[in-house]
Amino acid sequence: MWIYEKRLQYPVKITKTCPTSARLIISQYGGPDGELSASMRYLSQRYTMPIKEVGGLLTDIGTEELAHMEIICAMVYQLTKNLTIEQAKEAGFDAYYIDHTTALWPQAAASVPFTSLEFQSKGDAITDLTEDLAAEQKARTVYDNLLRMIPDPEIQEPLKFLRAREVVHFQRFGEALEKTKDRLDSKNFYYFNPEFDKAMFQGKK
Amino acid sequence: MSENHLAIANIPIQPWGKLYSEADALNIGTIFQDLNKPFFAADAVLESKSPLVSGNEEKSQAQLEREQLMTKINELGFFLDDLTLYLDTHEKDTQAMQLYHEKSQEFAGLRKQFAQDYYPLSRLCIPDGMHENEANFCWLEGPMPWEGACV
Repeated sequence: MWIYEKRLQYPVKITKTCPTSARLIISQYGGPDGELSASMRYLSQRYTMPIKEVGGLLTDIGTEELAHMEIICAMVYQLTKNLTIEQAKEAGFDAYYIDHTTALWPQAAASVPFTSLEFQSKGDAITDLTEDLAAEQKARTVYDNLLRMIPDPEIQEPLKFLRAREVVHFQRFGEALEKTKDRLDSKNFYYFNPEFDKAMFQGKK
Repeated sequence: MSENHLAIANIPIQPWGKLYSEADALNIGTIFQDLNKPFFAADAVLESKSPLVSGNEEKSQAQLEREQLMTKINELGFFLDDLTLYLDTHEKDTQAMQLYHEKSQEFAGLRKQFAQDYYPLSRLCIPDGMHENEANFCWLEGPMPWEGACV
C-alpha cells in the first residue's frame, strides 16, 4: 500500500517555457537510466530478496524514486505548460507535440519509449545489488550531463538535488551488498544462489 | 565487514558523522557531510534558496506564512527520508534512532498544523483537517504539487 503526500520531495518552480530543456530532462522520466526505470527495478527485485532488511531498503529507495519521477515530471510540465506552436517548432518539440501535445509520456531524450528492458530483476541478490550500484552511477552520469548542458539555476537546483540522491543510494546499496556478503561464505560468494537455494542459504544443507 | 575480497564489489559501511542543518541538507541532497560529492559544473551551494521562497516581495503575509510552514515540512521530511535509508542499513545505531525519534515527532506536529491551518498533505492527515458539516471535501483543497506553488 502506498500513501500519497501532496508535496514534492524537492520543490520545483520554473518560471520560463523551455521545450529544449524539457526534451532533455524527460529522459530521467522514461529514459534507460530514468527514475521510472529505477523505481520499477527496485520494487520488482525486493520480493525475492533473501535478507529482509535488503527488501526493506529496496522498498524505501524504490518509493523515493517514485517521488523523483514526480519531480522530473513537474519540471517537464512547468517547462512546457505555456508552450506556443512557434516555440515547439523552434525547439524541435513538434514531433513530441504531435503525439502527446504537452502531456507527460515516459520516453528517453532520443524519443525511445520507456520499456522494462531497461532494467533487470535477476533473482540473485549479488547480481541484483550489483545492478543497483551500476544503476545509481548511470543515473548520476545523466544528471552530470544535464547539469553541463543546462545552466539555468531554476532548473539546476532540482537536478543537483536528484544527482546527490544517486550518490547516497549507491552507498546504501553497497551496504546492503555487504550485509548479504556477511551471510555468505567469503571463500566463495558464488557457491549457490542465496535467493533460490534457500536451504543452503539458511545453512540447512 | 572489514575485509575486502576478490571478484566482488567492496563498499565500506558509512560511520556516523557530521550532519548538515535541515535547510542545508535539502539544498545539497543529503544530511551527511561525508556523502556530499558535488559535480564541478554545478558546485553545491550552502546558502538557502528554496525555489518556494523566491519572489517574496509580491506575496501576502498569509501566503508567506503558509510557504514558510511548507518549507519547514519539506526540510524536515527530507531529513527523515535520508535518515530512514541510513537506519535501513544501520538498524542498531542508537544515535541515529534518537535523532529519528526527535525529528519524527516534530514532523508529525508540523503536518498536523498544516492540515489544521490549510489542507491535509496526505490522507492520514485528513482527521486533522476535516470538520463536521463541511461543504467541500478537504482532501481536494490546495494546489497540485507539480504546479510549483504552495497557495
